Amino acid sequence: MLFSLISKQMKMLVRNKQPLIILLVMPLVLITILSSALGSIMDGGNEAAIQANLLIVDNSSWAQEESAIKQFLEQEGIKGPPLDAMLTQFKSSEPLELLNSTILASDEMKKYIAVDYKKTVDLKTARQDEKIDGILNIPVDFRLNYIKTAYFKSTNFPDLSLYLNQDNEIRASIIESVLTDWQRGYTQSAILSKAGLSPQEIMSNVRTVEKIEQVLEVNERMIPASIYYTVGMLVMFALYIPAFLAGFALQEVQWKVYDRILLAGVSPVLYSLSIFFTGTFVAFIQQTVMLLFGMFVLGIEWISLEGMVIIIVSYSVFVGALSALMTTLQFRTKAEGIANLFNGLFITVFSFLGGSFFNIRDISETLGKIGDFTPNGATMSAILSIQKGQDLSVIWPFMLAIYVLVIVCVLLSIVFFPRRGVAE
Amino acid sequence: MLQAINLSKKFKTKEVVREISMELSAGESVGLLGPNGAGKSTTISMLSSLVQPTSGDVLWNEKSIAKNPESLRKTLGVVPQEIALYPELSARENLAFFGRVYGLKGELLETSITDVLKKIGLLDRQKDIVKTFSGGMKRRLNIGAALLHRPSILIMDEPTVGIDPQSRAYILETVKQLVEEGMTLLYTSHYMEEVEMLCDKIYIMDQGKIIAYGTKEELKGLVSENQTIELKANILKANFEKSLSEQFPKATIHIEEEILTISMSKNEEPLATIFALAAANNVVITSAIVKVPSLEDVFLHLTGKALRD
Repeated sequence: MLFSLISKQMKMLVRNKQPLIILLVMPLVLITILSSALGSIMDGGNEAAIQANLLIVDNSSWAQEESAIKQFLEQEGIKGPPLDAMLTQFKSSEPLELLNSTILASDEMKKYIAVDYKKTVDLKTARQDEKIDGILNIPVDFRLNYIKTAYFKSTNFPDLSLYLNQDNEIRASIIESVLTDWQRGYTQSAILSKAGLSPQEIMSNVRTVEKIEQVLEVNERMIPASIYYTVGMLVMFALYIPAFLAGFALQEVQWKVYDRILLAGVSPVLYSLSIFFTGTFVAFIQQTVMLLFGMFVLGIEWISLEGMVIIIVSYSVFVGALSALMTTLQFRTKAEGIANLFNGLFITVFSFLGGSFFNIRDISETLGKIGDFTPNGATMSAILSIQKGQDLSVIWPFMLAIYVLVIVCVLLSIVFFPRRGVAE
Repeated sequence: MLQAINLSKKFKTKEVVREISMELSAGESVGLLGPNGAGKSTTISMLSSLVQPTSGDVLWNEKSIAKNPESLRKTLGVVPQEIALYPELSARENLAFFGRVYGLKGELLETSITDVLKKIGLLDRQKDIVKTFSGGMKRRLNIGAALLHRPSILIMDEPTVGIDPQSRAYILETVKQLVEEGMTLLYTSHYMEEVEMLCDKIYIMDQGKIIAYGTKEELKGLVSENQTIELKANILKANFEKSLSEQFPKATIHIEEEILTISMSKNEEPLATIFALAAANNVVITSAIVKVPSLEDVFLHLTGKALRD
């Protein structure tokens, strides 16, 4: 029985041009246009979106340690012009110099890490600063100890302290990646320099940038316009399904087909349930088509299949519940006003708040937070989060909002659905 | 037996059905005759449990359907006045859907669909989309959808509205066959000749009330005290009408579009007198018809207005 009702509703949808155009053709066209038209702006703008703040606290300096280094070299039997030449060489190739002047100073690296230098700082206070993603603490006599170890027989390798702010794992991991690479680089250079290779040849900043991009790839990839608008249109156009299904249901009442269905012994609850399942199924198909379109036409690589399935199924269930509620309201009012109001006003406002056309947080963080409570906004945020590479756990607060809305819609449908005919 | 007991229905402040009582016994064919807006469709909706009466009750086999409408519903085949079909589906798909919601499946469903398509003469158009059908074909399919589950009672609400005479004749013939096969029928119409042709017992309804009921003969008996004579003449002079009025003071006489109609007691034999008066007034009568009372006359007699007014 339920299957017959769903199958009939599917046939009505498929054999009407208007829903097909609005539910499938329009979003695909819009995705294509918006992705290509706004792609260059959006994709370029996003490059600076992930920038970690690094504080380097340098408790030593070349100036402070130069005399000690000179004294050490003299003790090692190096004097006169060779000593001066060696000092110059050490000054230009010591790890901190390479880090500050080469690695962190490159244009590529500046996109990812903003550096602030301080001589002395209260580490406890600095670590509580939410704006700082990482603190590199350089101990006293670091340069001296490095030279002793890298070029002479000392095995007392200088220690560094790195504090990472775990509030933002992505930014922290960028800093960690760069500094680990740097540290490994100068450690290796210390060993290799003994074999006659210069540190500069080993510690290339290019390799470090590549490493950062690998970190981003693994942890938080950039969201290009194609992904953004595929998701934006996907969540927006699913909201048109309830109005179509409620519209068909009202037609059934007007044509007296609904009376026939009731006379056949179909309970109103079962009928309402069929609308719910049809809405869910159509929404799932619609979203799947759009995701496949993004994949095969726009070349999007959707990641976290498990998360995507959870989100898409949850949102589809919401669309089904909203379809049942809208049908109930139309049966109660016996007019298309509810569906028209929803299509004309609610979808526009929800899409704006949910960020279907642009990231609402660019205008206002408050509006962005409100948008996360709209079903489409919550779904969009959840999809984009996992598409950035974030952990699956980030979707649950968004999904909770969806499930609450599902429960509200289902309860209202059950309470208000007309138990007898609609003619009264 | 399906019974309506003092059924009334109010929509907001308007009372559209007022204390109607009627009965439908197994194998009976009952007509509900009345002009548009008389309350026939609302009455049918209450009888078929789709609309809750404001007061009164509907009994099915002497039990109220108020709390258990399902007991009645599956035994009913209802043909609404509207074309209650899906225009985007084919004839067969429509029948298959309605058959399935009635619980038919498999071989039984397929056989029922084919039988119904044969009965309504649409077997050769079964795969065509309904929206491409003529009005008459849609009406036939509308009836077919109510027959799939082989109901014991068929309720038809104005099933021939707005169709061509050929389709109308086909539908009436189909319904007549169903009645002959023993189907219990409740047929509403404002076409008195349809009700007269199909029904044994007739309820006449006007302004939400049953104003008369009985067999065709019993109803016609209500107006059989009168006879109606229609005259056509070369010219209808005022003097002739005046002479007739003087000669038959109890008769009702009126002239409309060159036809003079005289309504008077059937006990009188007026033709010879009428022809004599015509000759005296130099009026040449070209035709004279003495009319037997019809249900139309019954309605006119009871309400003072024509059935299709």
